Amino acid sequence: MVEGGGRDGGDKARDEFLSEAQELVDGLGRDLLQIDESLRKGKVDAELINDVFRGVHTLKGLSGLFGAARMAGLSHELENVLDDLRLGRVEISQPVLDTLFQAVSLYSRILSAENGDGEDPSPDIEQLLLSLGQLSQRQAGAGGAGGLAQYDLDPGLLGVLTEYEEHRLRTNVQQGQNLYRIRVRFSLATIDSALDDLKAKARPHGEIITYLPTGSGADIDTVELEILMASRASVELLRSAITGPNIGIEEVRRRSGSVLPAPGQAATTPPPITEGDSSPPATRAFEAGERAETGSLPALGPPSPATKPPSLLPVPARARGASRAGGHEISLRSVSQTVRVDIRKLDRLMTVVGELAIVKTAITNLAERVRGRATSARELAAELDRLNRTFERHLAQMQSGILEVRMVPLGQAFDKLARVVRQISREHEKDVNLVVTGAETEIDKLIVEELSDPLMHMIRNAIDHGLETRDERLGVGKPPIGTIALNAFQKGNHVVIEVEDDGRGMDPEVLRATAVRRGVVSAGEARELGPRELFALVFMPGFTTKAVATDLSGRGVGLDVVKTNIGKLGGVVDITSDVGIGTKMTITLPITLAIINVLLVEIGERLFAMPLASVEEAIALEAHQVRNIEGREVLTVRGASLPICRLARLFGVAARQRERQRAFVVIAKVGSRRLGFVVDELVGQQDIVIKALGKSLSSVKGFAGATELGDQRVALVLDVAALIEEVLAPSDSRFLSPTAEGGRA
Amino acid sequence: MAALVRSRSNKRAVRRAGDAGRRVEYLAFVLAGETYAVPIARVAEILRPPPITEVPRAPVNVVGVTSVRGKLVTVMDLRRRLHLAEAPIDRKTRILLADAGPGEALGLLVDEVHQVWRLAAEEIEPSNVLGGEQPPHIAGIGRPVGAAATILILLDLRPILESL
Repeated sequence: MVEGGGRDGGDKARDEFLSEAQELVDGLGRDLLQIDESLRKGKVDAELINDVFRGVHTLKGLSGLFGAARMAGLSHELENVLDDLRLGRVEISQPVLDTLFQAVSLYSRILSAENGDGEDPSPDIEQLLLSLGQLSQRQAGAGGAGGLAQYDLDPGLLGVLTEYEEHRLRTNVQQGQNLYRIRVRFSLATIDSALDDLKAKARPHGEIITYLPTGSGADIDTVELEILMASRASVELLRSAITGPNIGIEEVRRRSGSVLPAPGQAATTPPPITEGDSSPPATRAFEAGERAETGSLPALGPPSPATKPPSLLPVPARARGASRAGGHEISLRSVSQTVRVDIRKLDRLMTVVGELAIVKTAITNLAERVRGRATSARELAAELDRLNRTFERHLAQMQSGILEVRMVPLGQAFDKLARVVRQISREHEKDVNLVVTGAETEIDKLIVEELSDPLMHMIRNAIDHGLETRDERLGVGKPPIGTIALNAFQKGNHVVIEVEDDGRGMDPEVLRATAVRRGVVSAGEARELGPRELFALVFMPGFTTKAVATDLSGRGVGLDVVKTNIGKLGGVVDITSDVGIGTKMTITLPITLAIINVLLVEIGERLFAMPLASVEEAIALEAHQVRNIEGREVLTVRGASLPICRLARLFGVAARQRERQRAFVVIAKVGSRRLGFVVDELVGQQDIVIKALGKSLSSVKGFAGATELGDQRVALVLDVAALIEEVLAPSDSRFLSPTAEGGRA
Repeated sequence: MAALVRSRSNKRAVRRAGDAGRRVEYLAFVLAGETYAVPIARVAEILRPPPITEVPRAPVNVVGVTSVRGKLVTVMDLRRRLHLAEAPIDRKTRILLADAGPGEALGLLVDEVHQVWRLAAEEIEPSNVLGGEQPPHIAGIGRPVGAAATILILLDLRPILESL
């Protein structure tokens, strides 16, 4: 872990567990994708299933070792299913794979929870365990469920009820109340008052048992709640009583379509039952652990196969899992902060550390000699100077070495995206062919982590809205299976990632009209916009509501968030689209975060870069405004004196000869000191990766480093602070130097 | 003749393989008409000169900086460093990318690159055959057996790289 420094031994072991488990889980995901691929081709290699089996088995052992009961329980059940699969007792199929993929994403969530973030995935685990149990056909008849079993209630919902809520639910059911499920979407900003409002409307008609976020389809500033309400009223009555935007009310169906049980009969139904001998041991242990934590409803656990046909269960379970995944897979970030490193990179760093140790020894010796006064001050200074240079050199090596170690291939993020693509394409029943190139492109680990989620959003968008359905595609003569291309490559100091679909594309005119209608831009502004700017509109926050997205036939859900997140990494997102042909979104990112924004200036024929962080403004130089005060050239800017420095002179570079002598003053400020740097031309702004000059140039003052401009040219980056220090130094020596004197004609 | 030379040096190589002596490969290049050579192990790459950016106020031997596949390289004019007459960069000019330890990348500007010589210990004369005290960067004189006309001034790169 990054912050591993201050942790004790137990936490360290735990970090290692998390990191190892995360790797195993990632591996499982990759294996499943392979199985998926081979399944589509019609033949599944038994060895692949064995691989998954072994992976799960290892996970089980690992999680048992670390007391991660939830993981151990899940692994155990998963192992049973996989055992059946590999022994041919159960046939591998897409629905089975769906469940296995769910297990993988659930593992990730368990890991997050183990790591202390993310919500408790227990309800979903219980649910998945049910599906798994069904798959492995080990589910023997459990005891009868309570009165609630007749309702088509989501075990996930029931699993998180508090004891009181559970009690209220039972009581209401026993009283023969109808159960209603209300789905309502709130804006995060107003949720408190809106929820109170809704409660007030509902109260006359019945009782709200519980409410909890669904986690489905929510974008960043709204949240969808599922409210369970008991009422005697009819659904029509409730719909007319509880009104408002984004509210949906439906009655909770009774499973067998049977009539309400007589209250007396329901009341006699005892709560906990399912833990018969039929239940697999691990599941039982696991459930017991969970119950203590959540106070969930044991009776509502595995519904009795007697009360409903087994075929019913996987359907709601999957649907639920899928919709939840939408919310929970909001993050693809790994729990583990680990970077795997080529041992040779570490060896090089180790060598540098060795060199630094030598420097340290030399300094100790030097200190000894000073104590013994065996050395003259002059020798001492020379020695210290030499040591300092060596030290600086090794420090620089260390820095660049560590920067290198941080670089990881983008494939780490792409693997996870492949899983998401599969999941989304199954949800939407659109076949998608994902083509990945450039997975080996390296980028800073931090950026890869922060990139996973924006990329997932973009891909989700492309499948959701970009790709047409199979029939639509066939109708316009496209191949029935849509393609999403994920391309990465390095371009100068940047990494470019493209997400390209061959879907329906976007019509700039529709975007223009919608932007005006949504009030994102005024009609006048809209007329001025070119196609490029029109496409950029989809990244505006106003375009994120679902209604608009459908109007536009796509694009919009969360894309503003994508843009913001990419922006935080110093990157930009661009979008191009052709109607009927497809849409391409391009992310351009710095390779590392060692990126600065500079102003490029020309001095003579040469380019120099000035960090914008220290530039205040640039003005044209009016030669007649320059005054000489005490040997210093001073400019009057808005009534105040500003000392100026002619960089061409300072650097001994021939200033450009022109008929009309034009020059600019770049006003820089560091701390409280201001100085105007006279340059020949302002070229523009650019983001650059700054690289340190080699040790052979360490004696050259005034440059912070250099950068490659993309066309193989290298520009030096001015060390503005050092230059201001040098020019405004109290000593007047510089102004007596021949260059400075001679230049002041 | 050439075949004879090859077979003799091969035999020598085989015989030498057993004892401590081994042949060292030297890369020969031209500076102001003379042939110099450095152990090839210290040369990472031979480059055609890319555009070089001058660094104001840099030491006189430094031509400037350039970028080789994203890595910043300081280019030194080996002629200036060895106090030889200056010459402009032409189409034969090459940059030897020297291995100056991790983190530092130095390019040495040379007039022309020749070939690689494999020299045994007895083919190298110590620098003191030139008499008097020689600068530390002269490692010796190479006289490849079978190429009587060839005299290689062997350079030790370390003092050169360390004293820019």
